[in-house]
Amino acid sequence: MTKLKEKLSFFHVMILTYMIQTGVVVFSITHLEALHFGTNGWLMALFTSLVVLVNLMLIAIVHRMSNGRSIFEILEKSIPKFILFPIYLGLAALWSMIGCLVAKEYVLIFQMYAFPTTSPMVFKVAIDILAFLLVIKGVYNISKASTVFFFSTIWMNLLVFKALDDIKLERLTTFLFKEGGDMFTGFLNIYIAYIGYELSLLLFPYVNKKTKLMKAVMYGHLIRTFFYLMLGIVSYGIAGHNLLKKMLFPLLDLLAYIKLPFIERVENLFYGFFLFTTLITLVMYYWAAGESTLRIFPKLKSSVHYFVIILCSLIVSTVPVALDQVLRVLYLLGCAQIVIAFLLPVILILLLLIQRRKVVKHG
Amino acid sequence: MKKAILCVILCFSLTASGCAADSRILEDLGMVQTTSYDLLPDGMLSITASIPMADPEASAKREVLTVVAENTKNGRIKMSRETQLILVSGQIRNALYGLSMAKKGIYRYMDTLIRDPSISPELKISIVEGNAGELLRKDYDQHPRTGKYIDHLLEKESSWQTIPRVTILSFLRDLFDDGIDPITPIIKDMGNSIKINGIALFQDDRYVAKIPADDTMIFAFLKGSFKEGEINVDLSENGDKKEYAMLSSLVSGRKLKVSYHNQQIKVRCEIKIMCSILEFLGDLEISNEQDRNKLERRISDKLTRKADSMIALLKQHKVDSLGLGSAVRNKIGYANWKKMNWREEFPHVEVENKIKVVIKDFGEVR
Amino acid sequence: MMGILTSMLRKVLFNPLNETNKDQDHNHNEDKPEQNASADLQHILDQFKRSADLIHHRYPREGLDVIYFSHMINEDKLQRDLLPPLLAAPAADIILNEQSQFQQVQNAKDCVTGILSGNAAIFYNNVAYLADVTLPASRSVEESESESIINGPHEAFNENALTNLSLIRKRVRSSHLKVIHLSVGEISKTDCYVLYMEDIANEDYLSELIRRIKNVEIDAIHDTNMLLQCIDDNPYSMFPQYMTTERPDTIASKLVSGKIVCLVDGSPSLLSAPSSFFEFFASADDYYQRWAIGTATLFLRFMALVITVTFTALYVSITSFHYEMIPENLILTLTTSRSRVPFPPIIEALLMETTIELLREAGARLPTKIGQTIGIVGGIVIGQAAVQAGLTSNVLIISVASSAIASFVIPSYIMSAAFRLFRFGLICLAGLWGNLGLVIGIAYMVIHLSGLTSLGSSYLTPVAPFQPYDWRDVFFRFPFRLLNRRPTQNRAQNKTRQKMKR
Repeated sequence: MTKLKEKLSFFHVMILTYMIQTGVVVFSITHLEALHFGTNGWLMALFTSLVVLVNLMLIAIVHRMSNGRSIFEILEKSIPKFILFPIYLGLAALWSMIGCLVAKEYVLIFQMYAFPTTSPMVFKVAIDILAFLLVIKGVYNISKASTVFFFSTIWMNLLVFKALDDIKLERLTTFLFKEGGDMFTGFLNIYIAYIGYELSLLLFPYVNKKTKLMKAVMYGHLIRTFFYLMLGIVSYGIAGHNLLKKMLFPLLDLLAYIKLPFIERVENLFYGFFLFTTLITLVMYYWAAGESTLRIFPKLKSSVHYFVIILCSLIVSTVPVALDQVLRVLYLLGCAQIVIAFLLPVILILLLLIQRRKVVKHG
Repeated sequence: MKKAILCVILCFSLTASGCAADSRILEDLGMVQTTSYDLLPDGMLSITASIPMADPEASAKREVLTVVAENTKNGRIKMSRETQLILVSGQIRNALYGLSMAKKGIYRYMDTLIRDPSISPELKISIVEGNAGELLRKDYDQHPRTGKYIDHLLEKESSWQTIPRVTILSFLRDLFDDGIDPITPIIKDMGNSIKINGIALFQDDRYVAKIPADDTMIFAFLKGSFKEGEINVDLSENGDKKEYAMLSSLVSGRKLKVSYHNQQIKVRCEIKIMCSILEFLGDLEISNEQDRNKLERRISDKLTRKADSMIALLKQHKVDSLGLGSAVRNKIGYANWKKMNWREEFPHVEVENKIKVVIKDFGEVR
Repeated sequence: MMGILTSMLRKVLFNPLNETNKDQDHNHNEDKPEQNASADLQHILDQFKRSADLIHHRYPREGLDVIYFSHMINEDKLQRDLLPPLLAAPAADIILNEQSQFQQVQNAKDCVTGILSGNAAIFYNNVAYLADVTLPASRSVEESESESIINGPHEAFNENALTNLSLIRKRVRSSHLKVIHLSVGEISKTDCYVLYMEDIANEDYLSELIRRIKNVEIDAIHDTNMLLQCIDDNPYSMFPQYMTTERPDTIASKLVSGKIVCLVDGSPSLLSAPSSFFEFFASADDYYQRWAIGTATLFLRFMALVITVTFTALYVSITSFHYEMIPENLILTLTTSRSRVPFPPIIEALLMETTIELLREAGARLPTKIGQTIGIVGGIVIGQAAVQAGLTSNVLIISVASSAIASFVIPSYIMSAAFRLFRFGLICLAGLWGNLGLVIGIAYMVIHLSGLTSLGSSYLTPVAPFQPYDWRDVFFRFPFRLLNRRPTQNRAQNKTRQKMKR
């Protein structure tokens, strides 16, 4: 049977970007905003989003100059493989660890609500099995699944309208970023809430001209920005920045606020739905890790790659046991990822310029 | 391939079935519905928990546990020694604090309620005039489950605006907000029933004063906009004949106007009340437009005077329970706000109330 | 030479439609020794030894021998129309050679096949002729049992392929409706027809489907649903990947929308390909109602899907792990009914679900009259006695019953059966890990579904790939004037369905 080699469509890339960006930080982002920026910290989601757009611009330049070649091809054309392979391994390790710890954090938060004494690895393994099943299907099917997951979670954003009566705008105050804390750490923390878009660097071979890759990524990012802002306004309007500083996971408290006639404390159930967004985040990071290890060992089947990656990261993820440790490690990994998100496109642009020069010289 | 994966899942689930320790099977749970806290003279806590029971064979409708402990968590441990059920707090609807405790400050005893993720942020907080534990332990003949009785009472009254709806979330956010002081309803044992007995005013987390039950509607007008509610206005001047107006279907809107000149803060509180008048005892003919306008004016005046005295009460106790501070804060800018101590400043702020009553309709007869 | 002859012969014997494609491959018929044996009378009689139902008439004076299965032929036609002229004629072979209703057969095998498929064999001078007087045993066209609707046509396909073809031709009167004849089953040699609309249906899908049917190697095919499982993309999946229906109107609409239809002789259900997951939730009824009612019904069905899948699992999850979620007014009711039950919720739920499934299965296998008894007994046993005996809580009964009812709202029985089975997995997961287990189960289903394909096209169209235009016809039922394009999944050659502007 000939499977149709389909390219990712505009809509799918958009949804995929949104879903990768929506990880576990969404539970705590308003807390981080309040903690580091104080009054009206939710606006920081907008400013950070602008910085992300700059980063996206860099990636867009790479995309335009690369003519659809994968970034690995570009790198390998100018840099010898023995230098590149350790870098690939490093990237794979970073990406798989990010994916893995996101899942671990998700599980640990869940265990605050139920199953407090069960080993978190039980759930972690279950989620990893799901991730494995999805990641071996390839990026096209991941994007298909993410579209379904998108539609089954996006409506939750509308639930804030249930809380509309309790939003008081005077709680937002008229002050900008007063009573905050360490703003730089805060900026990084909020930036981490946006990471995931940089994986679009790896999507080059999976799209065609019709996809308008960078536009799609940008739109996906803007959807995310919009919902972060909405969440910010609602959280600030309901709780005020002083209380937000105290709440570790304001989104969950916000959901608990919502009462449906036949069911209460919906955060118990809806927290489950966030598994969908988390799953896509971790699957895409596993996928990215697999993409880079595939360059080193191209002979091995891709499912073997993913299996080894997931197994290794699973083993490493047993080390941090406390939620606090996971958050800290995730913060460090996130910072590393931010550096890569900026550095990689810059390097690629330089390489492409050099390569272009060479072509001109030889031609 | 897929079979192998299914096998893995199956084996996994079999091994994982050992996690039965975490199960919370409904009928094994003692779901605390209401809990109360009192401070004993020796500094110990007296904690009472009311657990609704559904055992058709037992005659008791609920299980009430009381323990004396030094802190809340220890109280929980002691309590669970007395019952065959697993005590859980995911269904707590009400927390009652005795006046003795409220006077000392309740925040440190609330910590457990905030920290425990199983407790809903919708948990209602109220103050009991007298001993909270006694009130909760008492069975009221006409109301089988005291906890549920209190909950429904609070719920109903708050929807009619006589008391504010105070949940743990709203209490804490007012506590942490520097432009407003928290409040809670007060309930009291009346022998055969429980009565809403006013609104408790807090300075930080300490109870300092109360608004009597008859004036709570005035407080509601000043506190913010709302719909639904009724008020009985006594229009009789001294020596006069008795005159009453019963206003219902209230729709009230509040506007705060803050002006700031030469370090002098002035707050103007404009309230417009739409209502229908359903009962009137007095000389005026309410179907007559002139008389009605006169009545509107008199009611407005009366209410404004009452509002003024309420502001005076708040100023006297240095509590800004109305949240005027947040309006002031948003007006005067961050530096000025931080410079002044709002609590000390509040009694000196000039607050001008202006209440305007509009009678929409006056019933089915002329 | 032989090939041409046989194919010509078939054409007459089977009396297929005019447009029957002649390019089928007969060379892979096994070459048995009797293929070349001449069709003499004794040989044929030897072949049908111990066949008590074979009729052999001898007319020694005229030198005629007639052999047939009386139950497969129209004996009236034979006795009244065909035989008298032969018997009256001085030399029967003149008529036999002249008239086209008699076909001379060259070898024994063809003769045997002819008799088996309902022809009468006439022997004259040791030369065999076949006369087509087939009258296959079949039901008449009746009302649809498994897909009954309230408005619209009630007729359903039956087991006779030719009847079915005529039902389709009656509805699609176009010379563009092409019919390709294939046969599947190494022993059964079941006739199988592939139908498509020329200039609308996608040629890639067509050739792919034909290729797959030809590649089927199995002893016998007894039903379309059996063939379907031999040719689908993911044989291990729980979900049906081709839509089957026994309604001629549905099949006609699938044909004109550019899908390819496959018809198997002996089966009243026809398959249409490619199919999407959401197609299984549509019913012909939706199109015969006003659009608003159709849309509401569709909405109801998707709600039924959610109820079927989650209700009982949610009950298990909430009563065993997430007691916080129960509203205050419900908690005493639930605890009261749970307090007498001796099992944990998961066992209780599995018990009840199994009972319902037993009832359903028993009801389906029994004749209607006894089936009713089963229903009453089951209803009383489950509804009353189980609760009174304290074996289950009545809230569970409500949730099990409503999810069972909801499962039957899904029009496709196969799809609803798939979800009923899936529900058991979900209940187990919920009993194990609470809400997280429930969500893990649903996530697994979505992952599984997103990997499925139907004839190589995505099973989840129009959600993924995202085709907002198709939503008009899948999640809603827009008025017809707004349904101008054929479904994207069909990749029809002509995408426009109507140009009416009104």
